[in-house]
Amino acid sequence: MRTTSGVLLTRLTMEVATALVTGLIGATVCYGSLEFGIGWGDAGPQPGYFPFYVGLIVIIASTVNLGFGIYHHRDRVEEFLTTEQGQRILAFFGPMFLFVLVSSFLGLYVGMILYLFSVMVFQGGYRLPKALAVSLITAIANYFLFEVWFKVPLLKGPLEALIGIH
Amino acid sequence: MDNFSNLMDGFAIAFSFFHLALMAVGVLLGILVGVLPGLGAPNGVSLLLPLTFTMDPVSAIILLTSMYWGALFGGSTTSILFNIPGEPSSVATTFDGYPMAQQGHATHALTLAFMSAGFGAMFGVVVITVLSGWVTQFALKFSSPEYFAVFLLTFASFIGMGSGSAFKAIVSMMLGFAFATVGMDGISGNMRLTFGFSELVKGISFLVAVIGLFGLGELMQTMEEGLRFDGIHARIRVRDVFKAVASMPSHWMTLLRSSLIGCWMGITPGGPTAASFMSYGLAKRFSRRKEHFGKGEPAGVVAPETADHSAGTCAILPMLALGVPGSATAAVMMGGLMIWGLTPGPMLFIERPDFVWGTIASMYLGNVMAVVLVLATVPMFAAILRIPFSIIGPMIVVVCFIGAYTISGSRLDLWLALPFGILGYVFKKLGYPIAPMVLAMVLGDKAEDAFRQSMMMSKGSLAIFWNNSALVATIMSLAMLLLFWPMVSMIIRRLRGAEHGKRISA
Repeated sequence: MRTTSGVLLTRLTMEVATALVTGLIGATVCYGSLEFGIGWGDAGPQPGYFPFYVGLIVIIASTVNLGFGIYHHRDRVEEFLTTEQGQRILAFFGPMFLFVLVSSFLGLYVGMILYLFSVMVFQGGYRLPKALAVSLITAIANYFLFEVWFKVPLLKGPLEALIGIH
Repeated sequence: MDNFSNLMDGFAIAFSFFHLALMAVGVLLGILVGVLPGLGAPNGVSLLLPLTFTMDPVSAIILLTSMYWGALFGGSTTSILFNIPGEPSSVATTFDGYPMAQQGHATHALTLAFMSAGFGAMFGVVVITVLSGWVTQFALKFSSPEYFAVFLLTFASFIGMGSGSAFKAIVSMMLGFAFATVGMDGISGNMRLTFGFSELVKGISFLVAVIGLFGLGELMQTMEEGLRFDGIHARIRVRDVFKAVASMPSHWMTLLRSSLIGCWMGITPGGPTAASFMSYGLAKRFSRRKEHFGKGEPAGVVAPETADHSAGTCAILPMLALGVPGSATAAVMMGGLMIWGLTPGPMLFIERPDFVWGTIASMYLGNVMAVVLVLATVPMFAAILRIPFSIIGPMIVVVCFIGAYTISGSRLDLWLALPFGILGYVFKKLGYPIAPMVLAMVLGDKAEDAFRQSMMMSKGSLAIFWNNSALVATIMSLAMLLLFWPMVSMIIRRLRGAEHGKRISA
């Protein structure tokens, strides 16, 4: 028998969790569509009709997936994520999440400089000047590409306003 | 000969310096996203789409389709040199392409791949050219019930013909529909499923979903595996290129068979990925050198590449002619068409022949250009993969989020891309297909509108889908058959199995 040491999540857990989440989304959709009438009016379906049944089908299909998932993976042999893989995912997702968080307050340019710089320094093991150069050049290149050439403004925050870039 | 003169008009449109330059830029960007893991054709096109909002539709589609060709070529490059399929549709190319490269025949494998891809694409465009004139004859027969029937056929074929669990495909597709209904209802004007968030009134863009599902989701999967590139140095030797070109005619049977498979899978929504696998399988079955497959057999490179590209090109036809995209990338392009103010469907061929034929002509030019450009730039693009992933990875992330923001300049889209990324990662690992969700998000509103307009026409009777015309009845019946195909085939198998069992026990 295979040991489960080093396994962070089994396939069974993930199948069940995913089916529950999709079922929950289905239920939310059903609930939300009750607002506008889910019946069949004179001119065909009312606005809530389509989403309501879509939600209902999601719930039913999720239940089937839940059943199949438990049945096929009840022996818990198959893993979904080992501890090592979990750490790699976290090391990737964590900084990405912070990048979005910082960007939504300080703008995408500041966000990308901080993100690239810290990932290169803390995860890539690069020296400070090189990391700084790469992240600054990326930001400047994006500025010219989007703001200047394509005239598509990116999200900017208070720092750009401070140095007079709009 | 109507098609021929139309095509010549198309060439007149496509053959300008500006458009040729756009093609070159598109192809090069396409190769780039094809080579980079995590960025593929669907989200490459999504990322570029916001930049085309202000362009003329003909120029915009030329840029996007060229990017598509480039991405298909880029995907094959990494398959052969690094054993990493840049695109799901080039997985089958790794089977024989990488062994060939390991044995020192990298140039031969690459040239074969590009040439057969070019052949497949050309075959596809010719098929499109021939069929396009015929499409317009249907145009005036199409009204709401017919449109709904065609949409249903597409959805049904994704559920019925999928290789994985049908219920997982249903969940994926229905979630796509649910996301598509968020926001203002086009018919009644009600705000649906916004739960009081004013940011949701304009709906959830399918582009954010594609960037999250395909881009971030794929990156997470790449990161999880701890990326290692075991690349083979690519130096293109001119003599080997000519030798490979000279060997092309000996593969004529494989080329022809694979092109036909590709066209079929591209026009019906089987997609390039299924086409390339099927074509590889058939090439192996019919080959006299079966045992060489998987160990560096040239035909094993020719077959999937030809089918991949002919499916990729053919997927454009149902998108333009019926509003039914044959692949995820075609679905994204169709979303673009609607944003540019064009309505895909048979009427497009009558109202905007300049657009349709300009696009088709540009496909001839774009593919020739792609073959030349990709041969010339392979060493450069292969070098990109030697940049450490701790630099490339975050840069791809930045590009994805910039893409998400530029769709409509909304902060919310940055936050939406994250959960779609997680969803894409988990779905892919658990075998939920992702393409149906994208398809449903693009077509959801249109399908619902077509359904409700049909209901207004018929005063609420479903019979309109069978007695409006012979056309609609045929399509509807076909859709029903496809939808219940998994069940039908299961029953047939059970019956056969039962008989088999009886024979054994008897």
